Amino acid sequence: MAGEKSEEDTVSEYLGQNPELAQWVDTFRSYSESNKQWVARREFLLRNMEAFPTLEHGVPSSSLDRLLSLSMVWANNVFLGCCYPQAVMDKIKEMGDGIVVQDAPVHKTTKDGIQGRGKRSATTEGESDSGGKRAKSSRKSGPLPQAPAEHQPFFNRLYKAVAWKLVSAGGFGPNLDHFEILRSCVESCKETMACVYVPLKDITGLPAGRTQKEGHVCEIRCQTVYMGTGYGRDEAAAKAMASKEALKVFQGRKVTVKICRRRYNGKDVEDLVLLDEQPRSPGFPPALSYPFQDEQLEEGSS
Amino acid sequence: MGVPAFFRWLSRKYASIVVHCVEEKGKECNGVCIPVDTTKPNPNEVEFDNLYLDMNGIIHPCTHPEDKAAPKNEDEMMVAIFEYIDRLFNIVRPRRVLYMAIDGVAPRAKMNQQRSRRFRASKEGAELVEEKTRIREEVIGKGGYLPPDEIKERFDSNCITPGTEFMDNLAQCLRYYVAERISNDPGWKNVTVILSDASVPGEGEHKIMDYIRRQRAQPNHDPNTHHCLCGADADLIMLGLATHEPNFTIIREEFKPNKPRPCALCNQVGHELKECQGVAREKQGEHDEFAGSMPGSEQEFIFIRLCVLREYLARELTMASLPFPFDFERSIDDWVFMCFFVGNDFLPHLPSLEIREGAIDRLVTIYKDVVHKTGGYVTHNGYVDLERVELIMQAVGVAEDNIFKKRKEDDEGFKRRMKEKKKRMKNERGPAHMTSGQFAPQALGRRDKPDAVNNARHQAFDMRMQSNKDAAQSLKASMKNGGNSAGPSGSTDGRGVKRKSNDSDSEPEPEDDVRLWEDGWRQRYYKTKFDVEATDDDFRQKVVRSYVEGLCWVLRYYYQGCASWKWYFPFHYAPFASDFKDIKGMFDDFEKDTKPFKPLEQLMGVFPAASGNFLPPTWRSLMSSPDSSIIDFYPDDFAIDLNGKKYAWQGVALLPFVDERRLWAALADVYPDLTTEEQRRNSLGSDLMFVGKAHPLFDFIHELYRTESNEDTEIPAELCHGIQGLLNLDGKPILPDQPVTSPIPTLRDIAHNSAIGVKFRDPAFEKDFVFKAVLLSGAKMPNAVLKPGDWEKGNRQPWRPQTGFNQHRQPAHLDQSGFRALGHSMNRNQHGGRGGGGGGGGEEEEEEEVVSIATLLHQTPTKETTEVNKVADTSLSNIPGRTAYWERLRPTSSPSTLGSSSSSSRMVAAAGVTAGIEPRRLRARRTSRTSRTSRTRAAGGRLLLSSREDTSRGSMTGERTGDNTIRATAPEGSRPPPPSRRYDWNN
Repeated sequence: MAGEKSEEDTVSEYLGQNPELAQWVDTFRSYSESNKQWVARREFLLRNMEAFPTLEHGVPSSSLDRLLSLSMVWANNVFLGCCYPQAVMDKIKEMGDGIVVQDAPVHKTTKDGIQGRGKRSATTEGESDSGGKRAKSSRKSGPLPQAPAEHQPFFNRLYKAVAWKLVSAGGFGPNLDHFEILRSCVESCKETMACVYVPLKDITGLPAGRTQKEGHVCEIRCQTVYMGTGYGRDEAAAKAMASKEALKVFQGRKVTVKICRRRYNGKDVEDLVLLDEQPRSPGFPPALSYPFQDEQLEEGSS
Repeated sequence: MGVPAFFRWLSRKYASIVVHCVEEKGKECNGVCIPVDTTKPNPNEVEFDNLYLDMNGIIHPCTHPEDKAAPKNEDEMMVAIFEYIDRLFNIVRPRRVLYMAIDGVAPRAKMNQQRSRRFRASKEGAELVEEKTRIREEVIGKGGYLPPDEIKERFDSNCITPGTEFMDNLAQCLRYYVAERISNDPGWKNVTVILSDASVPGEGEHKIMDYIRRQRAQPNHDPNTHHCLCGADADLIMLGLATHEPNFTIIREEFKPNKPRPCALCNQVGHELKECQGVAREKQGEHDEFAGSMPGSEQEFIFIRLCVLREYLARELTMASLPFPFDFERSIDDWVFMCFFVGNDFLPHLPSLEIREGAIDRLVTIYKDVVHKTGGYVTHNGYVDLERVELIMQAVGVAEDNIFKKRKEDDEGFKRRMKEKKKRMKNERGPAHMTSGQFAPQALGRRDKPDAVNNARHQAFDMRMQSNKDAAQSLKASMKNGGNSAGPSGSTDGRGVKRKSNDSDSEPEPEDDVRLWEDGWRQRYYKTKFDVEATDDDFRQKVVRSYVEGLCWVLRYYYQGCASWKWYFPFHYAPFASDFKDIKGMFDDFEKDTKPFKPLEQLMGVFPAASGNFLPPTWRSLMSSPDSSIIDFYPDDFAIDLNGKKYAWQGVALLPFVDERRLWAALADVYPDLTTEEQRRNSLGSDLMFVGKAHPLFDFIHELYRTESNEDTEIPAELCHGIQGLLNLDGKPILPDQPVTSPIPTLRDIAHNSAIGVKFRDPAFEKDFVFKAVLLSGAKMPNAVLKPGDWEKGNRQPWRPQTGFNQHRQPAHLDQSGFRALGHSMNRNQHGGRGGGGGGGGEEEEEEEVVSIATLLHQTPTKETTEVNKVADTSLSNIPGRTAYWERLRPTSSPSTLGSSSSSSRMVAAAGVTAGIEPRRLRARRTSRTSRTSRTRAAGGRLLLSSREDTSRGSMTGERTGDNTIRATAPEGSRPPPPSRRYDWNN
């Protein structure tokens, strides 16, 4: 924070030394711009003026207009949540590098915020990644912080569906077709399950003593939320075990979606997990899949 | 005013302002369509002088209808527009002027809204396509069936903006249309047609207002002109009131909330896109004969009588014991002004004033108080007294805190009630073994007693079949869906197909960071909406100042015309009412002599980059190139703030504002790239006036062309009902006896044209002229419609409410036998129509229109009821005791035609009347006809059951019913009038 303060001070100091420039620059402020927005955009303008060699102080020109336009692009992106074509975004990202805006507003575009189902849109990613100026708010990969809340209503419904299903099937027990029960409940809630199968031998990081050559592991997710993992001789058996594990979670008074840390590909990642209310050992089996896309992005960049 | 709630509120509170239109339909005879003769008296029992069309309200539904298949190409769109105008012309039958106004370049204040709409349309279009492909894959993956995706170019509704080629073509087509009708339609031959196309700046309705205002201000104006304005916007009501013309009526499509829209994927009604399952289409009718006709496919029209609204307002606004004489006209202006607080196209509405929460009533109460205290009105001729506005605002501000708290409470209460209702509904469905139909259990102690059971075995059979059908359906579904899913799908979930998983928590509430109902709302509002601290007084002052300017601008716009083409409200949100402090000095006057944008400039100002194809290439590249100096105007995605609302379209689009200086600087470089054609499209045009040969003004205009007098000439007032204006020769005129080529391949050229066209300009006034918002001398107020408050004291008779324009309208009657016949053929437990299933979901509340038999029967007689009556009369006259009754029903002046009106309700009356008298007579006379008549009777009953919502089916059977009835009862050869006499217009 201290660094940021001094940065702002440098700007005002600089303008204090160049009163004419300060006056001229102030004419670019638009009527509806708040102090905070203007200070940030002014910094953007001042930092980039040298990059426009044809720009003469105090003289209107088309290159000045281009700079003004880009400064607006940057400000609109930071303060209003607007997105522009990629080429433009790249440009302002570069130009705005290093300008710090404290607690910039968070805006939702229709895709992720309002229709509100499913994954995050490319737009928010672009938004939060661009510019890099949201030093504080820029997130690492993984589920969004609000993701559990978004998924919770669905799992509440699923919980009811499972509860009734189990009642009609005579209660939870070993002799049920667990997969079938889970599948029909999920589908009655208008969703589908995602099953991922991995041969056991392909999984790294298992305790050495238990490593077997044969068999398959199945992981069940629904709406990207992890529900259970199971092992079996073939895929069907693994799936049945995974379903049984998943159904166990539904034995409590309620189910909750939470963000938990677990292993994936030998690394610790944050994952969306369905839990019952009992506190239990945090030992999740390693994840077999990771549906949060920007993981790959991050890997690509690092 | 884009406030759908406003009209609903108004028509509920002031119910008598609405009058349903009587529409005479063209008939088909041997496959030839015979148009209606509009020279005949208006069937609505009122004569209108001027009809004004706000064309954009017509163009949009005709080019991309929401409830039926879209026209395939531009030609079909044009034809649809022509037909729509014909329909309106037929209903209204103007006798003097038809004024068609297409939106031209709008003031800057409006452009921001247009910009937001167009960016949204573009974004929603793209999202819809994406969603469609996603769900299509999903559904097909599950084994559902979907009709193949038609490869057609999506009509970009954004092209309905001045300056595009489409609008230019439309103007051409309308000229042809006007010339054609003037030449060939007798109803048009004396009408003066004025066409104000998109090249004339100004919003359509405001161009119309300008016309009316300027006509009123000149001495030859007829103060008793009856105006009829067509358009659905609620602000037309305000505009109409603002004219202070005593006879002003608005015509619009009947408002039908929650009309089901077909799913975008499978084209079936009853579910939304995201719930599409790709189930095979249900047959419409036994042999699918009703396929293609959407329920309620033809909208009916209603009139809104502003003189009745004025009566209501007079009751509400009149203040006794004022220190000065009460001036109702002034208080109307104030009322109009206060309605702007609640919503208008130019300003965001104040957070504490919500029309549904009775904001206007609250304002009226406060207003009266303020007038009392300060001894004067709030506005005068469209100019605002800011001191008094401040008093009103402060009074609202005091209550603001409570308003927000109450809103939250109401909201929670509503949710709780809905939840409980849902639960109740669930319970009411009862267990599976519950009997249905006439065996259904009946609650005790209700008014309608259950009927005696008849045909019990058949009913039992039906019930059995129903459960079989259910089982078959679920089996089918499970087979279909089970096809490629992993395991065999359990038979247990077959029933789950129909059940919706709609729990109260199914749709997550959007987050609301502002929480206006909790303390500290002001800080949070300014922080989240404007990103400033509440302590930043300067900023808040700025917002308030702009809002005050806005209020002044809007009122001036309504009463005097556009004060500044440049002014706009430069924020996305409104301040609180309590922020309006010391506003007196905040506004002085607007910048003078501002100019509107040129059409192509405005396109640059309102279009997103995705609609750039409507612009020349170099212009277009300014919208997307990283080197463009205006690239910041064109984000390709933007945030929408729900602002406490539920749906995206209700939210605020956070778009940047256009900087005019930079726009013009950037365009200066590309202006040379315009072709001559584009330059023409970019220039400002002129209104055109058309008259036919029979019109008194015709020779005068013709003479202008003959003498080639290229200067403005005033219209001689006596030639055109006192209408004034300046005429000038048109460059490419439509001239009499010169053929007009049709711009549409499917329509014929006009070989014998008898119309003449000329440029027209509204009468000019001094720059500082103030149009007076007063009643003109000589204006006669129409008769009062509302029940006088002291009716009971002075009169013995019961009050007879007026339902149409005419007080002496004869209501139709149905005698006892008619009621018996109706009662026989319909189940009396079912009344009223139910709109076809879910869907829609756009509007805030569910509403359904219940049409009871009583209202259907109290309709006025139209041609065919009276006709039926007469016909029945002849056949019944030999039955003693009946004659007197039929005598009474006979209309005083009986029209000789067998008009067939569209309104199903009247059909019912007709069918019912005959059905009622039928049995005895027919048995006595023509036994061979019995079968047909009994069908008639059944149809009559069906019609009632289906009510008017279901006009597709209703009007089909209805039409036939009417026909059959007449044929069944009329003695051979006595009636249908010879068509030759009626339709041969050219003689």
